[in-house]
Amino acid sequence: MRPENYQAKNQPPSHEFELNFGPNHPGIEGNYAFRVKLNGDEVLSARADGGYLHRGFEKLMEQRLWIQNIALVPRICVPDPVPMEVCYSLAIEELGGLEVPERAQWIRVMQLEMSRLAAHLFAFGGHAATTGMYTPMFWGVADRDLILDRFEELTGGRVYSIYNIPGGVRREVPDGFLERMSSLLDYLESRLPDYDNLFFTNQVFIKRARDVGAMTQEQALKWGVTGPNLRATGLKFDVRRDDPYLVYDQIDFDIPTEPGGDALSRNLVRRSELKQSIRILRQVIERLPSIKGPIRCPIPNPLAWNVPAGESYTRVESSKGELAYYVVSTGGDKPYRVHVRGPSSMHAVQVLENLAVGCRLEDIAQIMFSLDACPPEVDR
Amino acid sequence: MSKELNLWLDSLLSDIESVQFRRKNSRRVRVDVASEALPALLELLQGRASYVHLSAITCVDWIEEEQFELIYHVWSYETNSLVSVHTRIPRDPGVYLSIYDLYQPAAFFERDIHEMYGLYFEGSPDMEKFILTEWNGPPPMRKDFDSEAFVNQNFHWEQYHPQWLKDIEEEGGGITTRPEDVR
Amino acid sequence: MNNELEKIPVRNELKVLESGQKRTNPLANVFDGLVKFCQSRSMFMLHYCTGCGAIELPPAMTSRFDMERLGIQPMVTPRQADILLITGYVSIKTLKRIILTYEQMASPKYVIGICSCTVNGGMYWQSYATAKVLRDYLPVDVYIAGCMPRPEAVISGLRELMEDIKSGRAESWKKYYQHYDFYLGNQQKLFGEDWQTPTDIIAEARHYDLVSDQTLGEHTALLEKHQKPLEALEMRLSVKEKQNL
Repeated sequence: MRPENYQAKNQPPSHEFELNFGPNHPGIEGNYAFRVKLNGDEVLSARADGGYLHRGFEKLMEQRLWIQNIALVPRICVPDPVPMEVCYSLAIEELGGLEVPERAQWIRVMQLEMSRLAAHLFAFGGHAATTGMYTPMFWGVADRDLILDRFEELTGGRVYSIYNIPGGVRREVPDGFLERMSSLLDYLESRLPDYDNLFFTNQVFIKRARDVGAMTQEQALKWGVTGPNLRATGLKFDVRRDDPYLVYDQIDFDIPTEPGGDALSRNLVRRSELKQSIRILRQVIERLPSIKGPIRCPIPNPLAWNVPAGESYTRVESSKGELAYYVVSTGGDKPYRVHVRGPSSMHAVQVLENLAVGCRLEDIAQIMFSLDACPPEVDR
Repeated sequence: MSKELNLWLDSLLSDIESVQFRRKNSRRVRVDVASEALPALLELLQGRASYVHLSAITCVDWIEEEQFELIYHVWSYETNSLVSVHTRIPRDPGVYLSIYDLYQPAAFFERDIHEMYGLYFEGSPDMEKFILTEWNGPPPMRKDFDSEAFVNQNFHWEQYHPQWLKDIEEEGGGITTRPEDVR
Repeated sequence: MNNELEKIPVRNELKVLESGQKRTNPLANVFDGLVKFCQSRSMFMLHYCTGCGAIELPPAMTSRFDMERLGIQPMVTPRQADILLITGYVSIKTLKRIILTYEQMASPKYVIGICSCTVNGGMYWQSYATAKVLRDYLPVDVYIAGCMPRPEAVISGLRELMEDIKSGRAESWKKYYQHYDFYLGNQQKLFGEDWQTPTDIIAEARHYDLVSDQTLGEHTALLEKHQKPLEALEMRLSVKEKQNL
């Protein structure tokens, strides 16, 4: 050890203590850091420090063919990769004027909702772990694993599926998949009362999470918050309902909201969204066998496909908020510019810095997990 | 109801000079405006047409035309439509105004564009580097930065010579095309 | 009061121990086998999610693919951890922190590179912000390829590490001391010439008696140039007069 690196610095006396809530920390979802100024236990200011997961996606995507980017794109958001693929495919379909067949659209909706279920189970499992309750985390991860099994059966990969391409999906749904999916949904619904008893109505958790990271609706709109975090302040807005894509306008579902704006309400919104996702999936399972047809529309040779020039901005509701892709094409076989707007770009940086002021040090991890901020989306 | 709002928006936009707009479908509008008039247009959209949500600010590098194109995507919760405002600024000084006082989410995007493209926004509260704090090369997203050449210069690759290949080479065979030649 | 302080010896004045001088007791090797067996059965992995592969770690740790029955537990601080799991690609900013963390761990320590991005760059090979070959910067014991590897693959990789520890093949932490010049050279190429860490690797190498002819070289000379020279610590004692209690 080098003692000169550990000498105390002479500073004027102050009550502030600067702490590096660093990248190596189990209370941070992923690889992200904060510089927190503390007064005892209370946070005076926080400054987000990202870039630990930066891979230069936007630059990489300009150097690969249109179809090669499908392999890159799910890796931008690790817990919830399917909306990324679907959004990119929708953008190219809009540019290229492709008509996705109806069966493919229903399969895409099924995948999106499965991914939303998996991401929410992971999210509130993580939130429970930050309050010290590890059992919901174990349950959440175990139930999420069953969903990943279904993903593996459908697409071949547990996490990164690479199943959506511009024009449709790659393979047909296997035989018996819908029955297994249906029994999985029955199992998940039967687990919800257990989760309620252990976690959502647990007085310890409610006391811990109430009034932590509270924001009003005006603040949320001003800071650019989207997704379940915005619905937890009372505004009923969902990209699936108000800017519909795929076949969401033919499906019947509610949009749950909660009036408070704190960590508890965000959790309760996610719990209600679980129920709504299960409801959507049941409708899809019921309708899918009766929709026949191809699963993708013909596209030109993907290795030499010049997408017509233009630009397109597509939005999708991922489990974390509003996800948007802006794709510019100049008629070549590689994209000219792809801009990914991840929902956590707002949540992990500005909103967290604003909400952390005034709370206690142990609540920063809770706020981060309750906002479901995903660092790979911020860093791209 | 939304058709009337769309018609009202179209008439509002066509009244302003130096603005060209094109409606793509019922929920997407594209507006091209000169760079001096952009903050005023955004203020008008926010105040009178309830476009309170800034979805993203994108920058596109048109290197042949020596311009940066900035695109502001704003969304309205009431009319449920998205307006993408395009503007172009010359590449050379690469300075523009910030719209932080209108939309707070702009701070993140402007910071991101500053470190990725080298474009400076006056009036933005925070122009410090966020992602590339330990990077001292050129702004990486510009079209004149070749990422592959940079990688080949600064890193080297693992030598891949497994046993089965050695066995084949002993018998007289080997690789016909090296991967570097294919690329 | 006598104010003479004992001077802490500066590095140049340290006597270099001759190799083989430590283990003179002939019975010292009797328990080696037992020690290795026990070490391989109780590994603490550092809970640092460095990249995308970390999403398959919770399934590996929790009840379905239980890793704890093999004795592998997550640990939060690097000072008490044995394994550094590098789960996924390594961006340059993270690489600095990984090297700092690795040097903080106590030997014997092991590094496992999970996912194909640590092997040869993976799918981000064109990226300006990721490190391509992890073996240039840290000695790696086991690679687990995949994108991403299933929890069963992670566990089988860890089992292989356990076998390596038991048989004595997993000695890559020694390689860090023996070839420090090589690793430092690659690190300096990436981070600049004034890259330094708070850990004094060369003194540790001397302490563990692992200095080889490749430990010092041109890169460590650069490190010396940019370092502040080690000064003796001064202790200032103020003696109060004895008061009536």
